[in-house]
Amino acid sequence: MDAITLENVTKSYDSVTAVSGINLHVRQGAILGLLGPNGAGKTTTIRMIMNILVPDEGSIQVLGQPVSDNTRDLIGYLPEERGLYPRMKVREIIIFLAALHGLTEAEADRRAKEWLETLGLDEWSEKKLIDLSKGMQQKVQFITAVIHKPPLVILDEPFSGLDPVNAATVEEIMIDMRASGSTIVLSTHRMEQVERMCDSICLIDKGHKLLDGDLRAIKQSYGKNTLHIEFTGSDAFLKHPAILSMTRLGNGVEAKLKPGADPQEILKAAVQENVSIIRFELLEPSLNEIFIDRTSRA
Amino acid sequence: MKSLLTGLPVRKLRLIIKREYLTRIKTKGFIIGTILVPLIGLAFCLLIIFLVNHKPTHSMRLVIVDNSGTLAQPITQGLDAKLENGQPEFNIVQTVLRPASPDAVQQDLRARINSEKIDAYLWIPRDPKDSFELHMRNPDNFSLIGPLSGAVDQAVISARLSERGVHLDDIKAVLHGNDLKLMKVSDAGEAEEKGQSIGIAIALVVLLYTALLMYGIITMRSVLEEKTTRTMEVLISAVPPFELLTGKILGVAAAAFTQFAVWMISTALLFTYGALAAMGMGGTAMSGVHVPISLVLYATIFFIGGYFLYSSMFAAIGAACSNEQDAQQLQWIAMAPLVFCMVIYSMVLNDPTSTASVVLSEIPFFAPVLMALRISLQTPPAWQIALSLFLLLATTVGTIWASAKIYRVGILMYGKRPSLVEMFRWLRYS
Repeated sequence: MDAITLENVTKSYDSVTAVSGINLHVRQGAILGLLGPNGAGKTTTIRMIMNILVPDEGSIQVLGQPVSDNTRDLIGYLPEERGLYPRMKVREIIIFLAALHGLTEAEADRRAKEWLETLGLDEWSEKKLIDLSKGMQQKVQFITAVIHKPPLVILDEPFSGLDPVNAATVEEIMIDMRASGSTIVLSTHRMEQVERMCDSICLIDKGHKLLDGDLRAIKQSYGKNTLHIEFTGSDAFLKHPAILSMTRLGNGVEAKLKPGADPQEILKAAVQENVSIIRFELLEPSLNEIFIDRTSRA
Repeated sequence: MKSLLTGLPVRKLRLIIKREYLTRIKTKGFIIGTILVPLIGLAFCLLIIFLVNHKPTHSMRLVIVDNSGTLAQPITQGLDAKLENGQPEFNIVQTVLRPASPDAVQQDLRARINSEKIDAYLWIPRDPKDSFELHMRNPDNFSLIGPLSGAVDQAVISARLSERGVHLDDIKAVLHGNDLKLMKVSDAGEAEEKGQSIGIAIALVVLLYTALLMYGIITMRSVLEEKTTRTMEVLISAVPPFELLTGKILGVAAAAFTQFAVWMISTALLFTYGALAAMGMGGTAMSGVHVPISLVLYATIFFIGGYFLYSSMFAAIGAACSNEQDAQQLQWIAMAPLVFCMVIYSMVLNDPTSTASVVLSEIPFFAPVLMALRISLQTPPAWQIALSLFLLLATTVGTIWASAKIYRVGILMYGKRPSLVEMFRWLRYS
């Protein structure tokens, strides 16, 4: 049984087709990266899985059940646009939303205490939400998405607004949830996070699915055709004819080779130019590269 | 747990209602409004009771200067009333008949008033057709000016009648009229009408209009707040939109009910104890206002129908907008019929059985106010009430359905305010 099944799902708003004939199977216990440029149809897809929107065509199942008002409680949701009642107390709002997801108030209270401690918010539990910093509000909202231990969690940009320490904490919690059998859908633009955490990805653009499947398999299918170079000195050697395209990174470049090109030629050129090489590695393309490649081709 | 009728999970609905209710009644505006309104009412009533019943405790020391020479005596006779403590109201210190030098007398009297030896002097002109004058330090002591003015009138009129050979008491006996008692005929028989019916009717119209408008706008703001704070998307990930809408309307209704209960109970206490207090202070007890129980029932039924009709409209408007300004521009849609009721109600009040009144009171958007008004004035035929109620309920169900549709689409729409055409298009969305 899949955690999520989308079959030929289509959704239009007036003249705009937001999602067009998408098929997707998300395995239970996996972390899926839902990727796509802005306006690709990610939020619409998520809202249909949440039964907030109803597809014009196609069917959606969550954990083997067609989506309905009853599947809501199986899902924990962190929307991209954050916000909770600003004048409610932190503890009250967590308990309120947990109770709406089916917990008793006593149980919700107990778990709220645990979560607030885990995320270092225990001193803030009686404060109004409006008195918290943005990052703290973000953590409160994260708690409301996972407190009812849902078998499926959908997180839309969960790391935005979090400092590295808190981002690491949230990442750890997500890994723990996967270990305990939860399925996580992670929608984000941070490719390095996806690369580190996701088991599989689904890339959509303009409402169409471009790519989906196991992340490692996808990268392998591209083959080792990409040079990751870090260096200091002139970058003139990068004008080498064997390089098809490249992306500049902070401390180097990711260069895609022409089919059949010999990477040694490029290394020679670099040495001739007196460039000092720190790293020179032939690898699969990064997810970032695949993303740009696929979305610019479409 | 599912309720049999609607299939709604009652648990979630209960949580939504509870949160909404607790949030409403904890706001400063609600607490102030709930407590302050009866307190202001109480203060107002006490002030009136005080003013009406305020009796002076000291006699007025009065000098009468009579330039006519004939009126001082009958006026003095007319000033024979006693204060509560048995003292006379007026203590005639001195009567000056036809003073030789009026200016000197006036000067002397003014000095005596200023040195508080006397309180006032009454100046009777030579010709009784001219003005009488009462000179005093504080010309605002109404409770004694009244009787004095009465005594002057009576003396002057009596004198004129005597000139014509007529006795004042004869005239009084002839001119004594009779009261016209108003009797209200209803299904329950006849009862004396004390002019309360119209008072109750107007009070009812104002109450229904205010409640429908005030709590409608509170509902709209509450929906809008969930949108502007972006709480909405988290809520609908837990609760279907229809339950959210229903819970919100019922939660505000519960808060409204609490507020009205406090007001009603305090009003009842006010009337009961206010009446006792008034009697205790020697005034006449306020006659209890009698509101027929059937009117209370009908008004409640029409109010509940109207409440859901208007609240769901206001909620839909709140859901369609993304900010307060947009909502203020759109809220006229729900306000217009209510305001129309306020404009037209006096016509219905004047002629509740006219064709226009009957037709207007059958129109569902006006029925909650105008039919309730007609019922309070003169019980309309049963079929008219039944038809009006049926139309109201049918329209309410339809409006809730449409509002839920608009709500469901609107709560996720941000940005430009939708046009009415767009909102109608939302009705067709699945």
